[in-house]
Amino acid sequence: MLVGWTKRCFKGKRSLFLFILPITLYMVVFFLYPVIYGIFISFYDYSLGSPRTFIGLQNYVLLTHDNQSINSLFTTAIFVASAVLSQLVLGLGIALLLNYEGKTMNIIRTGILLPTVFTPLVGGLVWKALYHPDLGLITYYLQALGINIGRGLTVERSTALFSVVLVDIWQWTPLMVIIILAGLKSLPREPYEAGMVDGASSWHLFQYITLPLLRPILGVALLIRSLDAMKIFDIIWAITGGGPGTATTVTNLRIYEVGVQHLRIGYASALSNVLLVLGVITGVLFFHFLYSKKYGGM
Amino acid sequence: MKPWKKLVGLLLIVCFTMVSITLLGITQEKPYKGTVLRLASMADQYADYLKVLGEKFEEVSGAKVEVDILGYTELYAKITSDYATDTKLYDLATVDIVWSGGFAQKKWTVDLTPLILRDYVELDVPDILPVMWTQGSWEGKQVAFPMAGYANSLIYRKDLFDDPEEKVAFKAEYGYELRLPRTMDEMRDVATFFTRPDENLFGLVANGARGPAVAQDWMEYMRAFGGQIVDEEGNVVVNSPECLAALEFFVDIFDKWAPPGAIGYWWDDRETTYRIGQSIMQSSWSIARAGYEDPAISLVFGKTAMGVTPTVPGVLPRLGFGGWGIGINADIDPERQAAAWAFIKWITTPEIQKEWMLHDGAPIRLSTLLDPELNAKMPWLSTMLKLFIHGDGEYRPRLPEYSQIQSILGLCVNQAITHELTPKEALDKAAEEIKALYSK
Repeated sequence: MLVGWTKRCFKGKRSLFLFILPITLYMVVFFLYPVIYGIFISFYDYSLGSPRTFIGLQNYVLLTHDNQSINSLFTTAIFVASAVLSQLVLGLGIALLLNYEGKTMNIIRTGILLPTVFTPLVGGLVWKALYHPDLGLITYYLQALGINIGRGLTVERSTALFSVVLVDIWQWTPLMVIIILAGLKSLPREPYEAGMVDGASSWHLFQYITLPLLRPILGVALLIRSLDAMKIFDIIWAITGGGPGTATTVTNLRIYEVGVQHLRIGYASALSNVLLVLGVITGVLFFHFLYSKKYGGM
Repeated sequence: MKPWKKLVGLLLIVCFTMVSITLLGITQEKPYKGTVLRLASMADQYADYLKVLGEKFEEVSGAKVEVDILGYTELYAKITSDYATDTKLYDLATVDIVWSGGFAQKKWTVDLTPLILRDYVELDVPDILPVMWTQGSWEGKQVAFPMAGYANSLIYRKDLFDDPEEKVAFKAEYGYELRLPRTMDEMRDVATFFTRPDENLFGLVANGARGPAVAQDWMEYMRAFGGQIVDEEGNVVVNSPECLAALEFFVDIFDKWAPPGAIGYWWDDRETTYRIGQSIMQSSWSIARAGYEDPAISLVFGKTAMGVTPTVPGVLPRLGFGGWGIGINADIDPERQAAAWAFIKWITTPEIQKEWMLHDGAPIRLSTLLDPELNAKMPWLSTMLKLFIHGDGEYRPRLPEYSQIQSILGLCVNQAITHELTPKEALDKAAEEIKALYSK
């Protein structure tokens, strides 16, 4: 009877529905519901421990006058642009270097993934110790080399953001390497053979064959890292706490400050929704660029 | 009935009665057997042994106490979201003295007043120093029980202050005897005198990291200059001339006298720089005192003294008092509240307080501070007792809005010391944001 019931359950299109049911439930509970609730609560003046009051779009209006929140969006944009583009360039270079077969290459490829294994918060704490203005190894060696780092890389407003960008590059370049390497491995051999027959140099092969064929892969890698970098919180929280001043206060950190420290859940939700919309716009622009024939897309 | 049947019946009754009494005794000895309490604790020096006490309590009462040790901001975030959303994640939590107003107003932790009155004799309330009760008290309610009393004082290297060569050099430069500063001008002189970057020596250090660390340290200097955040009439006066002078002095600490990295210091960083002999003076809390004498972590053992933080002329010195109470989650059921109260009573007994003191605890009882064995091992306890007797529990505002005020100051003061804003701009911005809190 059980076998018969199971067979009936998984007959025809019903089986498709049953297979996607668990992930659908997961998405509804852990994604859709929080997003909808976040939009709902952003229309309220709501502080934890106090009753909520409907205020319409007031939180969004407040945001347009809140310099700290606006600055955090700019800081996030600078962080994303500098970290992700650096990871792309470095990732591509390293992937090209590693695009050879051999036992040594296998070991190097495995080893290069080590930074991604670290929990970002743990990695941040380790780097915080390395960057320590008085006792850190990085500080010590930079000063020994005669490089002027002021009071310390993470406590000077001019270098603090660069310091955390560097940590993000260290942690996530290997992911770029793996994605791009997989793409390189999947490229067809024939265009290269034809190019070599025609006398193309290595640079020409890279410029006119490798890059165009890799474009979709690079686009996807950029998209994944950009959306991830927009959500950055842990390494900045661990290393600088958003300081010095507001030098490293990214949007997620501002949301934490407003929502968790100031307990203003309504306003924090509004800020979260703005970040969500920016993420969606980023994704749409990426796909448009990737797939639009105007830009040589697929 | 046959006689032997009567005898067997009687024996069975006696055995049953004896077993029942025995079981009752065991149950009464461990009345909370099977109960697991979760306690969120600040990651201060006392916390490691609080874990040990949590385990020991199970032997006494049957209840197991699991202690989560958290950083300051993480502790506040976790317990407030737990209380506000009724998730009952924690049964007990350490409560900073400055959170008293907020916790009382929102009824997040149990008002312990009836329990304290009921168990007055058992608690030996008169043995608990009066100032300790400001931990967790607000408008007649006691929302946390005193657990770890901290006295604020100026910590300094007495060996350097007593050094004959230093004394001669100081008098030659400044025209008066080298001594513990009595005014903020003398503080400037002493800090400047002992700042010798070439020798990796710095005259005065403070917390500079954005957030509660810099806010709390600045507030100590704010008091020294006669400043307040909110005056007696409820007006926001954080940008008063007194507060501005305090912030200008505070900016000078980082520009002139503190190690270069102090801009990013939290409490543990500040204590480390003192213990390794890099910094000479700091305004600090008594919980760290024992650490200066531990050769395993300190290079300045035997060289530290405690004094009163100086003030500007016309401002009476205030002996700052702070520390941590322990509160019971108001959302948990009465049985768990009873177990939690039993734990609080146990860890605050004179015997456990003494044991805790020997493992980096902080005192709340007069008997603990007068204990001969403890005084032999910690000669500074007598100074600490004087600080507690004259301690001021209102040293920092225990307002319901304190956490938001601290967060605002934590950014604005950090912006001043990093020169992102001038001191006046920073305090005007802080005043505007704090006023906005009160206008809601």
